[in-house]
Amino acid sequence: MAIIAAIGRAARTKASGLLYGLGFFYNVLKETGRFFRRKQVGYKVLIMQILFTGYEALAINAVMAIAIGAAINVIGSSLLPQFGQSQLMYSILIVVITRELGPLLTAFVITARSGTAIATQLGTMVVNHEIEAYIAVGLNPISYLVVPRFIGVVVSMLVLTVYFNIFGLLGSFIVVQAVNPTPIGEYLGALMSTLTLADVFSGLTKALVFGVIVSVVSTFQGFAVNRASTEIPVAGIKAVGSSFILIIVADVLVTLVQYA
Amino acid sequence: MKFKIKFADQIVGLFIIVALAFFVVIVVLIGANQRWFAKDYRFVTSFQSAAGAAPGTSILMKGFTIGKIDKLTLNADNGVDAEFHIYDDYYDKVREYSILELTVSPIGLGSQLLFHPGTGEALLEEGAFVPTADSIQGQSLIDQELVLIPPKDDTITRLLANVNPLLENTSKTIVTVNRTLTEVNRALAGQSSGPLGDIVGDVSAAAAALPGTMAGVEGIVDDVEGRVAALLDQAGSLLAELELIAGNLEATTAAVRDPTGLVTTLLDPSGSIKTFLDDDDALYKKVMSIIGEADKAVRSLQGIVTGLNGEMPKIAGLLNETKTAIKQAQDVLEGVKNNPLIRGGVTERVEQESLYGAMREGSFE
Repeated sequence: MAIIAAIGRAARTKASGLLYGLGFFYNVLKETGRFFRRKQVGYKVLIMQILFTGYEALAINAVMAIAIGAAINVIGSSLLPQFGQSQLMYSILIVVITRELGPLLTAFVITARSGTAIATQLGTMVVNHEIEAYIAVGLNPISYLVVPRFIGVVVSMLVLTVYFNIFGLLGSFIVVQAVNPTPIGEYLGALMSTLTLADVFSGLTKALVFGVIVSVVSTFQGFAVNRASTEIPVAGIKAVGSSFILIIVADVLVTLVQYA
Repeated sequence: MKFKIKFADQIVGLFIIVALAFFVVIVVLIGANQRWFAKDYRFVTSFQSAAGAAPGTSILMKGFTIGKIDKLTLNADNGVDAEFHIYDDYYDKVREYSILELTVSPIGLGSQLLFHPGTGEALLEEGAFVPTADSIQGQSLIDQELVLIPPKDDTITRLLANVNPLLENTSKTIVTVNRTLTEVNRALAGQSSGPLGDIVGDVSAAAAALPGTMAGVEGIVDDVEGRVAALLDQAGSLLAELELIAGNLEATTAAVRDPTGLVTTLLDPSGSIKTFLDDDDALYKKVMSIIGEADKAVRSLQGIVTGLNGEMPKIAGLLNETKTAIKQAQDVLEGVKNNPLIRGGVTERVEQESLYGAMREGSFE
């Protein structure tokens, strides 16, 4: 009986936490709708968030994209002709770069860089009673602290995914020229004939979903800190762990929806 | 203040605008390559089967893609209705009497949808029906030479065109060899009703009758031996009697020399000569009977030898035919073994859906 009661308590706690999280997400969406109608100082927070999350991650994002694209190009151009399927290289490149790895790796980079930063920053603010101060002066912490980070992370995810595609599909071409010279016209023509809007929007849809997950999970874990400073790194770890799991689950779900 | 912080708005603005510009350029390039802004001319056709065709399948003319299939539907008559479009650049090729040809490899080397332009002057109206090469209408146009069908000049296409007849010929050859071997087996087993079977049947019957005939011959020889022995015995007794006669003749001669007792001796009714000659032809009949039996036995032997001589060419012919059939079967098997298409067996092929096509099945469009 004790085991059953323990399971029941755990289920109730999880359900309660899930409902709390959904309520938090609803509030974030509601405040996001109001964000652009208000001339708030939150706009500056948004710009800074995009600068840190998007612009500063561009370098590592570009290096990853070029490296993966070049690897696929080199492997594909040497392996696929053996099976008489050279034209499949473009399909593989698009599937890997645009549909799958582009949004996924970008989300991992943003989670590792910005997710932990957001969670620890908000956790520190909670410990320092700054959140209480915002509430005391009439500022909604979700509206001022969460929404700019939410929008900033989502926009950064979308923009970085576009850059990942550019660097992965075109930047890698420059690297491949050293190994297997191919006319740019031929490469671009074949690539653009194979690439479809569905591929592009598939990647952007995943980027949008992953951006929402990373920002909401990170801010939620930041606010989950109560009073001890030792809870702050735990919040960062939880933000990264939960974000990774949810990103992978969401990736599978979005892929299933697209291919179903 | 750090540069990055001071010009954060500009940096972020540039960061987003460049990404948007790239996005727009990519979309425009996709549209240009995928003919979003070009006019296509739509037509309809009908296939016997949709195997090898699918929405998005390219329509080729002399190696150039001039259009694509849009839609395939199974109609009430179990035919396949297809809608397709031709690019505006190639619309002037779609003339009267044009046909489509769907070629599907029987050994899984893919398919091609070829467009053959007609010889008519008028361009087909958009929405017109274009027959396929395997339809009655298409065959009629081909027979009347109203459509320009280029020779299949690439190796793969020629191979594809020749593979089916080649396989049919191989199949027919194997069936023929199989039938021949079956016939030979049946003939050798004496179950066939053909000429070969009849010959073999005759030979078999003759061979089966041979032991009986030999037994008859042996019987005849035994009989002849018995009769000859009896004849020899009788000849011996006859010689003995002749010796006796000679003795008697000697005595008669002596008696003749003595005229007083000669006539009396010769005319004696119980004399030896009288007894020898007066036997109702029994000895003569016996000798003739023995000679007749011997003649019959010799004739029978002559008939057997003649029959065997008559069957020898048939047996020789049968052996020659069997030898030729085995040589032909060996040639065919060697040909099958050396055939590059099926040498080493046909590897099981794992069907893989086209990744290109599968991606588009999840289209948002």
